[in-house]
Amino acid sequence: MQTDHILLVEDNPDDVTFTRRAFRKNNFGNTIIVATDGVAAVELLLPEAGAEPLRPTIVLLDINLPRMNGLEVLRRLRSEASTRLLPIIMLTTSNDERDVLASYEFGANSFVRKPVSFDDFLHAVKCLGTFWLEVNEPAPVLAAHPGNRRTE
Amino acid sequence: MIRPPADPPTSEHLAPDHRNGSDPRNGSDPLIGLAKPGANAPGPDDDPLTERRRDVRVGPDQLLALIDNTSAVIYMRDLDGRYMLINEEYERLFNVRREDIIGLTDHDIFPAEVADDFRANDLLAAGSGGPVQFEEIAPAEDGPHTYLTVKFPLLDVSGQPYAVCGISTDITDRKRAEREIQMFNVELERRVTERTAELEASTKELDAFAYSVSHDLRAPLRSLHGFSQVLLEDYSDKLDETGVAHLRRLQVNATLMAQLLDDLLRLSKTTRVELRRQSIDLSSMAHAIVRDMVADDPDRSVHVAVEPGLRTAGDLHLVRLALQNLIANAWKFTAARSVAEITVGSLLHGSQQAFFVRDNGAGFDPRFKSKLFEPFQRLHSAADFEGSGIGLAIVQRVVLRHGGMIWAESAPGEGATFFFTFTTTVSPPETRGKDAD
Repeated sequence: MQTDHILLVEDNPDDVTFTRRAFRKNNFGNTIIVATDGVAAVELLLPEAGAEPLRPTIVLLDINLPRMNGLEVLRRLRSEASTRLLPIIMLTTSNDERDVLASYEFGANSFVRKPVSFDDFLHAVKCLGTFWLEVNEPAPVLAAHPGNRRTE
Repeated sequence: MIRPPADPPTSEHLAPDHRNGSDPRNGSDPLIGLAKPGANAPGPDDDPLTERRRDVRVGPDQLLALIDNTSAVIYMRDLDGRYMLINEEYERLFNVRREDIIGLTDHDIFPAEVADDFRANDLLAAGSGGPVQFEEIAPAEDGPHTYLTVKFPLLDVSGQPYAVCGISTDITDRKRAEREIQMFNVELERRVTERTAELEASTKELDAFAYSVSHDLRAPLRSLHGFSQVLLEDYSDKLDETGVAHLRRLQVNATLMAQLLDDLLRLSKTTRVELRRQSIDLSSMAHAIVRDMVADDPDRSVHVAVEPGLRTAGDLHLVRLALQNLIANAWKFTAARSVAEITVGSLLHGSQQAFFVRDNGAGFDPRFKSKLFEPFQRLHSAADFEGSGIGLAIVQRVVLRHGGMIWAESAPGEGATFFFTFTTTVSPPETRGKDAD
């Protein structure tokens, strides 16, 4: 299995554990890189000049995050050419209408509320992974970056 | 400065309008004719009306009687401000006799400030050529009084003003009432602003609280459920049957609490969302809700009767939420009936139309009626009927937000009827928006 990266932006260590477990249980072999706050996520994806940027296949983005919240991260990423078309999936506790609306308005590709039941979470991750890692065809601009996606 | 005519001014100078050329000082006749110029000269074509008009003569005494028998203050001053005439109301109010005031000015009678003000208005009226309206303030024993004053110049034959007449009406009471109303309005405005700010603050607080509930309280539940799952999967060899059962119960309860949190959020949202009234077709809304329930629960056989043509004015989403909860309630509590029946209809409650949802289900004990609409209050055991007890609390919130009422009638085992109104006084159903469904 190819080893595309997933960037998980999540500050709750329990949720990191569950997300890793859910991807593993669903047999997705992707490496999960964790950023524990919004600033760290932006630094990984849009580093200072000279540094190699992280080019994950998808970003799983929480909203309530220390330092810079998920919606701000989203806006920041959408304002840069290199991350403008990157698939970003909001994965959050909130189902607040305003959060959902703001996420879509700022250019999120998907919005998933983390279920309390682990079985339900497992199912959600299976659907997410199948669609975004296997079914979906990403924007060509992303494939042009080294270290990303399989080539034909 | 234009001087008054050489004749010493007398009351004879009072005439309706000198500018039309009918200066009464011209004839030897001391009487003032109100008829049109020329009417005095008898002509060959005299008719009885002209004759009657010629006979009507109003003398100075009659005019004095006219100005003396009014509650208005009437006076005439020359262009130097010297009094020529005052009426009885003036005499009474300022305690001065008519004959004594002739030749005096306002500066002899009133404080300088007041007199200056009157004088300025006199001159304005004199220069204007016609009547001018002023608000003037004059002292009285019980404090200053406000007058609405009309001043107009008297013009000589050449059209030059030689005097100013004033008619002043006391509007002190009206002004006081106006001031009181204004003060009351200002106070009211202030209170409304204050209350609105308080309400906004508490809504914001509720909002922040609800947001925090949805986020911060859910995360630990995920940990409880998730790590129970980890134990069940990764440590199954170390767990006996009882241990597994306990972990399962932990998970069930974590899920239940998550459901309670969501219910609480939904309840608080019915209080927070903005209410937008529109005309709603309750009958078709009820049909749509029943269709959804049948689809979700195809094994049940429930006979539902909906009165056609039920309409109300309300917030579409909130009213649907209320009706959905009431019908779902009826659906749930008729589960044990071999022939389950639900009726949605209306009746007159006093002068108002009340809607109802009636079922032939389990009913409730009327002794606990007061607890029906309290959040998380359940009148049945969880084993008999599932649910968190939030549904009727939501219905009540929705009804109250519309300014309506909700009440219920039942006896155990004999079904229940929930009555509700959405007052339509705020906006009549015909005038707003589009129909539902």
